[in-house]
Amino acid sequence: MHPEETKKKTLKEHLKYRYHSRKKKLLFTLKGFHANWLIFKKNKMGLFGLGLLICFGLMALASFILPLIDPMYHPMTGVDPMIFSSKGPSLTHWLGTDSLGRDILSQLLVGARVAFMIGVSAAFMTVTIGTTVGLLAGYFGKTVDFLLMRFADIILVLPDLLVIIILAAVIGGGKLSIWNIVIVISLLGWAGTARVVRSQTLSLKQRPYVDAAKISGSSEFGIIHRHIVPNIIPLSLLYMTFRVTSAILVEAALSFLGFGDTSTVSWGMMLQWCWKTGHMFKAPYWLLPPGISISLITLSFYLIGRAMEEIVNPRLRER
Amino acid sequence: MNLQKYILRRTIEIIVTLFIIISLLFILFRLAPGDPTSMIIDPEMTPEDIEHFRDAFGLNDSLWVQYVKYIFNIFRGEFGNSFHYDEPVIGIIWDKLLNTILLFTTATLLAAFAGITWGKYIAWKRGTWLEATITFTGLLLHTIFLPWFALLAIWIFGFKLNWFPLNGMMTPEVWLNPDTGIFRKVLDIIHHMMLPLFVLFTVDFARSMLVMKSSMLDTLREDYIVTAKAKGLKDRIIRNKHAARNAMLPVVTSVSLSIAFSINGSAITETVFSWPGLGRELVFAVSNNDYPLAQASFLLISALVLVANLISDILYAYLDPRIKY
Repeated sequence: MHPEETKKKTLKEHLKYRYHSRKKKLLFTLKGFHANWLIFKKNKMGLFGLGLLICFGLMALASFILPLIDPMYHPMTGVDPMIFSSKGPSLTHWLGTDSLGRDILSQLLVGARVAFMIGVSAAFMTVTIGTTVGLLAGYFGKTVDFLLMRFADIILVLPDLLVIIILAAVIGGGKLSIWNIVIVISLLGWAGTARVVRSQTLSLKQRPYVDAAKISGSSEFGIIHRHIVPNIIPLSLLYMTFRVTSAILVEAALSFLGFGDTSTVSWGMMLQWCWKTGHMFKAPYWLLPPGISISLITLSFYLIGRAMEEIVNPRLRER
Repeated sequence: MNLQKYILRRTIEIIVTLFIIISLLFILFRLAPGDPTSMIIDPEMTPEDIEHFRDAFGLNDSLWVQYVKYIFNIFRGEFGNSFHYDEPVIGIIWDKLLNTILLFTTATLLAAFAGITWGKYIAWKRGTWLEATITFTGLLLHTIFLPWFALLAIWIFGFKLNWFPLNGMMTPEVWLNPDTGIFRKVLDIIHHMMLPLFVLFTVDFARSMLVMKSSMLDTLREDYIVTAKAKGLKDRIIRNKHAARNAMLPVVTSVSLSIAFSINGSAITETVFSWPGLGRELVFAVSNNDYPLAQASFLLISALVLVANLISDILYAYLDPRIKY
């Protein structure tokens, strides 16, 4: 056979092999998902949380539609020409209007979008930092471990909301933009995840297959990448759901206290407007919806997290 | 290592942590855009005046000298003058610290105690509708948005029912009247404290109750509980003496982990209820660009959190003799 032809054939075979192995891998992952879903399904509270989350997802989607119907439904700039003060629910404004005549329902819907945006991005960043730090500390041990964990201890005892308020004073002159808030939340929230990932890494490092990989000449990076990270990921995902809630809560509290991004309509901001304009005793239609939304989205992520915890930690299922 | 050595080590660690926080604050305020004097300097001042000013504030020294001076001043309790009140900061925040400690400690202790008691009972009644209801209520209270909950409490109990004052800590008429006795004054403070205390207590209580319940469920599966049952001990004794003693440990840990979180909560509660505490002072100082006041209140809050952590660590070591220091 011509050598060129052999090469072609092997390449073809190789591609075929890769295709099949990819397919197998995908099937394997899907099977894993299915098995986990069966466990998740048994947890009624988790399902309730998932249902709530879907509702909030629909709210976030609906926020794109409402301003298209009529510009007066724009949450920030839309003003009803007929209304100059806060009015109760009516046919045109199902949840009433705020003191500037803006529609509360459309603000509420956009709030869902903002909450998802803040929660998911901050949680992703937090958990990425936390997992990396935990991995490094757990795997390399000694001085690296000592320094990183002492640093984590300091971060852990700081009251994050108050630190962000101080940062707002120093960096932002009293206000922070929404992305700065997300970054600061992530920089202050990783310590808990890092601790858990570190202890998990410490136990994974002792497993026989890591020794085997070492003996067969695998590099440090290879071991971390192939043997430790895949075992850490489920734990990181779990911590991500818990960090989503705390990110949403911190942003809401910050906006409520008046240090938020005034160009973004978040639920905390809605409460701040209601409180600061003195409508809290007069306008329950304005006070109640944002607070209920924040509480329920927190509840939803919390319940999902607890249901996921049962998947990651089978011991919890038995009791 | 014995208990004294452990306490000593933790104390040193905490002092080091506080030192690092102080240093970070120094760096942070140096990084701030603009000159520290820009808040005070008038546009009409001549360059000589400004130079004189900078000398007086020590801003022409090298950064190291400034840092050493800063550390010394903090340990002498010298935080400078507040821009807003134009008084020494230390005098302003001292009373506030006591008010915060009063509110925060009462809420945390009551909540931990009630949480442990309730968690114990509902774990014992696992599988019943009572347990399901209380757990679900606990979850709702645990995830409720605190500032909103505080506003609701004011609205319902303060405004609609008129049971408690809407905000503040004292009624001026009572305190300015020379005839009122100390008992009346204390009663007045307690009356003002009920609502913020209720809000903080409820949220903390839900958390420690859930932790206690889950830890108790773990403990109840242990062999020694089965043994105790087989011995024919009374339920009450198994629950209170055998199970709850051991199940309490994770609650103490969770309280110590959530101290920072509770302090966040008390800052929010203080602001909503106008309770004259450190957290409210911090929020107020930041809103007014009052840097010295903000810095000092933040440091004092950090110190408070660290001391509370130390106390809960010692308590843990005392409760669990098995702990390896």
